[in-house]
Amino acid sequence: MTATTFTLQRATTADGRLRVELGGRLTLTEGAQLWRQLQLALRERPAEIDLAGVTRLDGGSAALLASLVARQRSGGDGVEIVGASKEAGRLLRLYDCARGGDCAREAPTTPGLLREVGAITHDLFSSARAILAFVGDLAAGLAAALRRPRSVHLTEFGRLLERTGADGVPIVLLINFLVGGILALQGAIQLHRFGGDQFLASLVGLSIVRELGPLMTAILVTGRSGAAFASELGTMTVNEEIDALRMLGQDPQRFLVFPRVLALTIAVPLLTVLGNLIGVFGGLTIAWWYLRQPTTVYLQELTRALDLADVGTGLLKSVSYAVAIGLIACQRGLATRGGAEGVGRSTTSAVVVALFMLVVIDAMWTWVFSALGW
Amino acid sequence: MARVLEVRDLAVGYGDEVVLDEIAFDVDRGQVFAILGGSGSGKSTLLRTLIGLQPPLSGRVHFTGIGPPALALTPPRFGVLFQSSALFGSWTLLQNVLLPLQKWTTLPADAAFAVAMGRLRLVGLDRYAHHLPSEVSGGMRKRAGIARALALDPPILFFDEPSAGLDPVTAAELDELIRALSRDLVVTIVLVTHELPSILQVADQCIMVDRAAGGIIARGAPRELADRNVDARVQAFFRRQPLPRTS
Ligand SMILES: Nc1ncnc2c1ncn2[C@@H]1O[C@H](COP(=O)(O)OP(=O)(O)O)[C@@H](O)[C@H]1O
Ligand SMILES: [Mg+2]
Repeated sequence: MTATTFTLQRATTADGRLRVELGGRLTLTEGAQLWRQLQLALRERPAEIDLAGVTRLDGGSAALLASLVARQRSGGDGVEIVGASKEAGRLLRLYDCARGGDCAREAPTTPGLLREVGAITHDLFSSARAILAFVGDLAAGLAAALRRPRSVHLTEFGRLLERTGADGVPIVLLINFLVGGILALQGAIQLHRFGGDQFLASLVGLSIVRELGPLMTAILVTGRSGAAFASELGTMTVNEEIDALRMLGQDPQRFLVFPRVLALTIAVPLLTVLGNLIGVFGGLTIAWWYLRQPTTVYLQELTRALDLADVGTGLLKSVSYAVAIGLIACQRGLATRGGAEGVGRSTTSAVVVALFMLVVIDAMWTWVFSALGW
Repeated sequence: MARVLEVRDLAVGYGDEVVLDEIAFDVDRGQVFAILGGSGSGKSTLLRTLIGLQPPLSGRVHFTGIGPPALALTPPRFGVLFQSSALFGSWTLLQNVLLPLQKWTTLPADAAFAVAMGRLRLVGLDRYAHHLPSEVSGGMRKRAGIARALALDPPILFFDEPSAGLDPVTAAELDELIRALSRDLVVTIVLVTHELPSILQVADQCIMVDRAAGGIIARGAPRELADRNVDARVQAFFRRQPLPRTS
């Protein structure tokens, strides 16, 4: 045990009971030792704690002392503090547990694993319900907004479009180019074995335009704009800015949600078109470099394989992705509770829920399109 | 009386912009020292420079007995109440007070809890220990900020506008708390304020700063300044009158 600047000794009182004598400097620096030694000593049920030898007592040690004494008393063992100097007495009175409730209570413990899992499951269901209710509200709001289009706040719209669309162009181009290239390389290796080189363009073209272009672009937009919207609206909620907006007679949905969803509905299909083009170009690069295929052959095959329905279904998907991302991100943001941590939680939740929904929507469309024969 | 803080030739500001210049004053142990001035006069800037959050443009801030204001590596020797309270919004009041104790002491969990509850009891908030800052009033947030500042028993406390924006009764209670802290905990308190009742109630010594003058325009005991200082700006401040427009 390390030497401490305080001392704790046991003595007997006049009527033969135990007296704990503290001396020296009682400070928070040695609070842990003081706490342990005093706890041990108190198990022997002393009648009094003598502070006559104490040269210095700081607030923290006074709080420790007061808390231990209160615990002892609530356990039915009376213990008196004696010999305190005038200053020490004042401090002890300040921290005296008789002035408040919670003194003798134990520190709260952290919840167990099972409880956490339960809480998370419960959260998931309640967030699904909240998003549905939000969509209902929004539909009602949309009807009202269509009747009075000018009630929608569009001054930010240009900036939003720039942030969600234009600023996202480089990363969308890069990722889609790489995805097109990787897809083409994987395909080319297989097709070459069977002498099917000329089908590479249709493989890449169809996969990109119908499926991967819209999906990859939407995933990128989720990470960029979805997260941004959720944290932005979340911070506004935490700072009471949303309440302020309501009090200023602005409906947060028309003011914040509509412009964002609208910006995404315009930006995401446009980004998808760019993504499709560069993805197909990524395939072309591989065809030319790996299969030594003339560019004209690739392009001819591409125009033969793709028709308008392929492009159209892809864009239809991307519009529905955009709406889903926008709604989920805004709802999660507006549902933020607590402080900075709450903002983090709703941002995570927005991204996770949106990614999940993208896959669900994709599956739904694929089913619908195949039923319709598109 | 032992000196705790010496400020000499201090200039504070942002980059090229000097907000206050030629600041010099001393604070003695156990004193409640007030820095007065109107809104935007540079009080917070001066305070942030004193506690080392902002570098001085020139001059020096010297703490005697408690070493230079190094941040991060050693336990903080100042308790600070920020103007906005600056409680961590996702944490309960108790968790806010526990943070410095967990970081800088070796107390076991139940002992740290006891100390933190003690601090909250001291400011009358033990019943709200498990509330989030957003669930209590502004005055309670200020008091919780004080409890957090007190957590490690620092020898000096810095308070930025502790009673600003509170109702007179709550403000008076806060002033009383500050007096009690100074009297019973024997700490030195440097506080920034523009609240008149606070100053007269609480402060032993004060300086008054002014943005237009770019420095200190008066110093002394607050009662003396109120009753005897002849400077028009000082009198306007203490009488709550607008300054006559000159330009
Ligand atoms: N971060 C900053 N950068 C530049 N100037 C600032 C900054 N913060 C405050 N100021 C300026 O410094 C002056 C003093 O501000 P402040 O110290 O907050 O005043 P007070 O606390 O007395 O109301 C103001 O004129 C303000 O414009
Ligand atoms: Mg200020």
